[in-house]
Amino acid sequence: MSSTEQGTSSAAPAEPTTAPESAAAPEVPESFYYVHGKDKVVHKVSAGALQHSALIHGMISNLGYTEEQAKANPFPFENIDGDILQMVVDWCNQHKGKPTPPEDTNLPKQKEKLFDLVLAVNYLEIKELLTYCCKQVAMMVKGKSPEEIREIWMIPTDAEDEAAEKEAKKRAGKEAAGETAAAAGDAK
Amino acid sequence: MKLLKYPRLVQDQILNYTVYSDLFLLSLLSKKMKNLIKSYQVTRFKHITSIVYDSYTIDHPLVHIGCRPFSILKFSEYEETANVKFQLNISGKMIDFQSSDEYYCPVALFHPHERESVIESIHNYFLDFFETSVEYHWITNNYKISIPRLKNLAVCIHMFIPRRFEDMKNLDNFFSSCPVLKSIDIDFYADESLSPESESRLYQAESIRTTQFDQKTPAVLRNFQGRQAFLMYFACDVSDLIEFVNRWKSGEAFRKLEYLTILIYREGIPRDETLNSIGARHIDATRKPPTHTVRKSYIDNPFKPMTDPIMSHSYVVRDSDNRVASVLIEGNTLSFGVWDKTEEEFLRMVD
Repeated sequence: MSSTEQGTSSAAPAEPTTAPESAAAPEVPESFYYVHGKDKVVHKVSAGALQHSALIHGMISNLGYTEEQAKANPFPFENIDGDILQMVVDWCNQHKGKPTPPEDTNLPKQKEKLFDLVLAVNYLEIKELLTYCCKQVAMMVKGKSPEEIREIWMIPTDAEDEAAEKEAKKRAGKEAAGETAAAAGDAK
Repeated sequence: MKLLKYPRLVQDQILNYTVYSDLFLLSLLSKKMKNLIKSYQVTRFKHITSIVYDSYTIDHPLVHIGCRPFSILKFSEYEETANVKFQLNISGKMIDFQSSDEYYCPVALFHPHERESVIESIHNYFLDFFETSVEYHWITNNYKISIPRLKNLAVCIHMFIPRRFEDMKNLDNFFSSCPVLKSIDIDFYADESLSPESESRLYQAESIRTTQFDQKTPAVLRNFQGRQAFLMYFACDVSDLIEFVNRWKSGEAFRKLEYLTILIYREGIPRDETLNSIGARHIDATRKPPTHTVRKSYIDNPFKPMTDPIMSHSYVVRDSDNRVASVLIEGNTLSFGVWDKTEEEFLRMVD
């Protein structure tokens, strides 16, 4: 199992400070968790960074893993491409413990990547990043002609919608007929 | 990137960040898309109080949302250099569009003879897309440009008529051919009067704001039938103020009135004498009267959507239905706020 260790530098235990003992609460060592996507590449991410994801945060809270258990059981996100999960992990690390800015200009410009990122972020329930992504998706059509919008967002025409609906009905009819035939066969 | 493949919540959020002009174009791409926008954007559309055809200082309107700078589209005549970018079938009519860097929205093009039909086709589409619960306003300051007759359209006019005004006939024609007047804001200094028909159109406006020399031309104080009036006169007899209040009290006029304010430039209004003459009643001076304010019928300033508050110990009561109006006289101004309350209900609001 290969491993890219994200956020490890920020995870180093804090050096003792010279401040009076009474002023500073003792530092709690940061805990880490592990996630992987479709490519099985494991990313080590701090609990602080993962707080952005309501889904993972919920899983962590319920599991109560030790460091060893977490390492042995990375969270599998088989529905997310490796490069997309890497983007999500990078974003969570960059924004760990910081207030999120009103805009984020580092999102992918290629529409297919952005499309996959939106789906991943929605699945992982990362509210702020989803907001940035949705804004960016909306901005992609700003000032464009209807046909350009149709092309960017792949909006079918009425004729295509009708054909798809007809096809779906036909398929549903065939499936229903198949089920009836199978039921009749079973009855015999 | 297939928008329709996204989960509903994501589609909804993307549409929330899509500007109105793009939503408009997007809705024209397919019936499915239009229905999706209409159903997902219900909450956003509920906040739209009006769609405005803004022809104020420009010949052909810019259509935008309420008093906010969210433009949907602009109308324009073809020019020789017109660079048609795309064509759309809107309510059965093929319309050419170009894009505009000046207005940040698509521009619908028309030849002079088809102005009305192009605007009407798009308006009919708006009625279906934004629905009829939204108000549709046409704002203009130019009586020389006709206003198309469109379903559910109310007109808001801002106009300055100077003392030496030599086009009264055309102004009369404009008013008499005008659809429903939502609001009129008029500075009227002409020696010549409007025709009785045109004047009657002014009095029927829902909201009127006038600045004029005296109260006689046009005689808004006597004949207004709308809801809100903001009047400024250089001169006005106190007897006319008293007559106004007494006619309201008797129920013979101003049945729809909610708010009226009169500012008289030349002199102050004798407070006690006027209050006595209108038979004002008074709340005990040690108690706090309720504050009257209503949402303006026509909001020209989004930061000031309400009428100025009236907090007065003096009030009058309408004979026919016992409804109350607060009356406040301060310096040169008389403010009159009608409550949707009987005297008994009104007095229960006093602290």
